[in-house]
Amino acid sequence: MARMKFLCDSERCIECNGCVTACKNEHEVPWGVNRRRVVTLSDGVPGEKSISVACMHCSDAPCMAVCPVDCFYHTDQGVVLHDKDMCIGCGYCFYACPFGAPQYPQTGTFGMRGKMDKCTFCAGGPEIDHSEEEFKKYGRNRLAEGKLPICAEMCSTKALLGGDGDVVSEIFRERALKRGKGADVWGWGTAYGSAPAQQQDKAKEGKS
Amino acid sequence: MKRILFLLALCASLCVTAADAPPAQAPAAHNNVKLWQDARVGQPQFTTVRGVETGVLIQSNGETWRELRNGPMTLYGGILFCVVLGAIAVFYKLRGAIKLKAPMTGRLIPRFSYFERTVHWSMAGSFVILALSGLNMLFGKHLLLPLFGHSLFSWLAALCKNLHNFVGPLFLCSIVVAFFLFVKDNIWRASDWQWIRTAGGLISGGHVPSWRFNFGEKAWFWFGLVLIGLTISISGFVLDFPNFEQGRNIMQTANIVHVVFALMFICMSLGHIYIGTIGMEGALDAMRTGYVDETWAREHHELWFEEQQHKMSQPGAVPASGAPAAQS
Repeated sequence: MARMKFLCDSERCIECNGCVTACKNEHEVPWGVNRRRVVTLSDGVPGEKSISVACMHCSDAPCMAVCPVDCFYHTDQGVVLHDKDMCIGCGYCFYACPFGAPQYPQTGTFGMRGKMDKCTFCAGGPEIDHSEEEFKKYGRNRLAEGKLPICAEMCSTKALLGGDGDVVSEIFRERALKRGKGADVWGWGTAYGSAPAQQQDKAKEGKS
Repeated sequence: MKRILFLLALCASLCVTAADAPPAQAPAAHNNVKLWQDARVGQPQFTTVRGVETGVLIQSNGETWRELRNGPMTLYGGILFCVVLGAIAVFYKLRGAIKLKAPMTGRLIPRFSYFERTVHWSMAGSFVILALSGLNMLFGKHLLLPLFGHSLFSWLAALCKNLHNFVGPLFLCSIVVAFFLFVKDNIWRASDWQWIRTAGGLISGGHVPSWRFNFGEKAWFWFGLVLIGLTISISGFVLDFPNFEQGRNIMQTANIVHVVFALMFICMSLGHIYIGTIGMEGALDAMRTGYVDETWAREHHELWFEEQQHKMSQPGAVPASGAPAAQS
């Protein structure tokens, strides 16, 4: 089974915000919530880099670890999803997440934030696939249709890659080799720990 | 293992730059080390998306918060709670309730006015709601969730969270009123030394004269109501009103302060509730009816009792109206 991951190639991202717009349109995300955003580092300075960031679907997900009602789960493809029916809007996942992925539709006076919303890797939620409830709460379930996340699919420079971690990292590795620079796999260290080393170990174990 | 993780998290938070920085001598041309280092410091960068801290690419302190909350705060907080509960049970078993030595006289003297009792019980009621709902936020996942299942537990947690968030400000109001109501009787008096030296006679059973409030009650007032009450209220407001757009850093810190002080508050309250109910004969009556028997007053607050007697014997003194008929 594939392990789904996002990878944003900072050498390619041109800060067009196409991914942000595609995401909002695809899922009809509530006002004030941006499941994906583009951040530009050293904006206006030579060597500036843009990164498209959303939920990184961490292996050891901090949101999952701190949720007091345990409403998060990993799908068998490694996508981090949550059950909005259970979410109490306490804000703990928002405190814990390094990427600022969990967001709330309301401003939160007296802690009334509403149900948390975040990127689903276009994998819907715990409701029945393609049901109306699923779309209302979590947006479209493209993975169940056999498609990849809309943000990555729409990316005009193919800076944003989304899909099986092995495939994505192989594409990126070839790119980095060819151009001879920009081999920083942004966010993977934070989201997947020392995943490259672990994966290598696992791969070795698998072979032997 | 958890301890090691916690230590690592502390070290990591203390030396973020040192831990995150790959060797500085790496050639700068082919990588963006400096750029990624800066991104991790949490300085906001440029983004077109509006919102709180949307320009922050990586906020690293959430990991420290997670390690502290899920680790030592849950573990040692739970242990502390159980130890205090156990200690009180052992104390009750060994020492038993503090009974009156002399028979009751049947003559009652006023101790708490109607207003004082109203303030006390609104404070106590909101405290119990806050304590139980707060404990559920920290321990419910481990204790109640396996019993109730996800649906019922999340319903309960939502109820607890909303109660907590709306009752919290009421609690602050009642402690502010209580402060002004009781502060003059909680000022240090010379007789408090004697109480400290003999630990209030709690263990020996010896008699320690005191004014309206003894040193134990004063400690609960200054450390509990004033110090912890204020700390918990300020940190609670930071968490209860995210609409002021405070960042994650301050909310993570506020949460840690809130939980640590709340656990201390709850543990102290166990002692207060014990001595106010089953731990001492006649204590609950004082706060329930507002009156205490003369014997109780003499044995627990002798100096205050004498003062009251003196006041009553003054010419023109009006006997407390509404006093329940003296029991024969």
